[in-house]
Amino acid sequence: MQKFLNWKIQLVFILTGVMVGLLVTTQFKSALPSSSYPYDELQAQQELMKSYSDDQAVLKSRILNLRKQIEIKQTESGQTIEKNNLDILNAIKNEIGLSSEKGDGIEITLNDGLLVKRNNPDVLNQSLVQAADLRDVVNLLFSAQAESVAINDQRIIASTSITSVGNTILVNNFHLLPPFTIIALGDPDTFLQRLHDPAALPDLQKRTKEALIQYAFVAKKNLIVPVYNSDFRLKFLTEANSTK
Amino acid sequence: MDHENTHPGHHKSRLNSQIIAITTTGILLGFLVILQSRSFRGVQDIIGRDTRANVFREIQILKTTNENLNAEIKDLESQLDKASNRQQALNAVQDEIKKDRILAGHVDVEGPGIQITVGKPIAVIWLTDIVNEMWSAGAEAVSVNNIRLTNSTVGFDLLPNGQIALNGVPLTAPYSIGAIGDGKTLNEALNQTQGVLERLRQSVQGVDLTNTLKDKIGMGKVI
Repeated sequence: MQKFLNWKIQLVFILTGVMVGLLVTTQFKSALPSSSYPYDELQAQQELMKSYSDDQAVLKSRILNLRKQIEIKQTESGQTIEKNNLDILNAIKNEIGLSSEKGDGIEITLNDGLLVKRNNPDVLNQSLVQAADLRDVVNLLFSAQAESVAINDQRIIASTSITSVGNTILVNNFHLLPPFTIIALGDPDTFLQRLHDPAALPDLQKRTKEALIQYAFVAKKNLIVPVYNSDFRLKFLTEANSTK
Repeated sequence: MDHENTHPGHHKSRLNSQIIAITTTGILLGFLVILQSRSFRGVQDIIGRDTRANVFREIQILKTTNENLNAEIKDLESQLDKASNRQQALNAVQDEIKKDRILAGHVDVEGPGIQITVGKPIAVIWLTDIVNEMWSAGAEAVSVNNIRLTNSTVGFDLLPNGQIALNGVPLTAPYSIGAIGDGKTLNEALNQTQGVLERLRQSVQGVDLTNTLKDKIGMGKVI
């Protein structure tokens, strides 16, 4: 009996010791805030980012509107502009993502783990959808001959960058929040075959199996991929052997 | 008879020293558990494919993007003006066709930039990440082993033999990845601390990585 009591006391002390150790270490390793008013600083930064994001939405909408107006004017000037030229222009616009597209394809949904909060600094990376996950999915879709791809209505073109800054994801330098819906137009059977391949997207499949993140895909008809609504950069790039 | 085992004072003192020893061990154990967990997360951050840039970088990216969007709007407004004038309309359309052909990869292009060479075979994810970093740093055109990446060629595939293919063409090492754009900005982005090239060096032993700034990089049209 005495031995049993001793054992119980020892267990209580071990647990207490472990708890104290954890607390002391957590306290010891906690980083000090860099500002005397960290909350004010954070709020100011967030307001600035929100202001830029709001401006960006307005600017993108203006770009879409201007491109539409130019198209209307060009059609109206059909007699001056040879029809041939307009056809060429429309075909190239289609190639570079300046027209919306409709067709059959696949819809993929990626979301963070259940009950996970993105703004919690201690959240495990593994339970968040990472920019790298989106890049891998997009790469797989294009390698499976996707005609066009969009993530949360942001058209993906060859020069689209998908990056992560802190716990947020930028696509075409535009803030996107989970859940991420990826739409690809093309042959649904080819997409399904690729996505079911256990060797494809191994990290994503592993984390889905471990219920760390949520990942699903389904073939769909009449999907719409929107027009690219950001800028094209041509500051350094020129046609070879030509003066800009 | 063993006096040490039966004397109450002795027993209490032994119990106390046991408790102290156990508690100290517990505290040390807790300390080690936390350290281990933190260093594991540190390693994960190194291996992780996305640089955890700070909020200032995010603000900078948004600011630059908005400047680029404003420039695009000015360009489009000028195009709209020309499109409204019947005489200028034809020239405007031809200018737009010329610009869009460059973007679509219908013509050979050139410009300053950076050339990365990766000496040995690497996984698809590394090529995806290097190319992504180039676009993110403002590249205007990117090519891999002389295949320019456009909407019709993008997407690295993995062949059954483990070889990477792009646009149906198997790629063999050394991989040569070229980007046209502001060479200095591209170089800084690719070589930043914990950036894609540093992580590649850490992850793939003897990867033999070189990067060279170039005044002119040529890229052939997409066939």
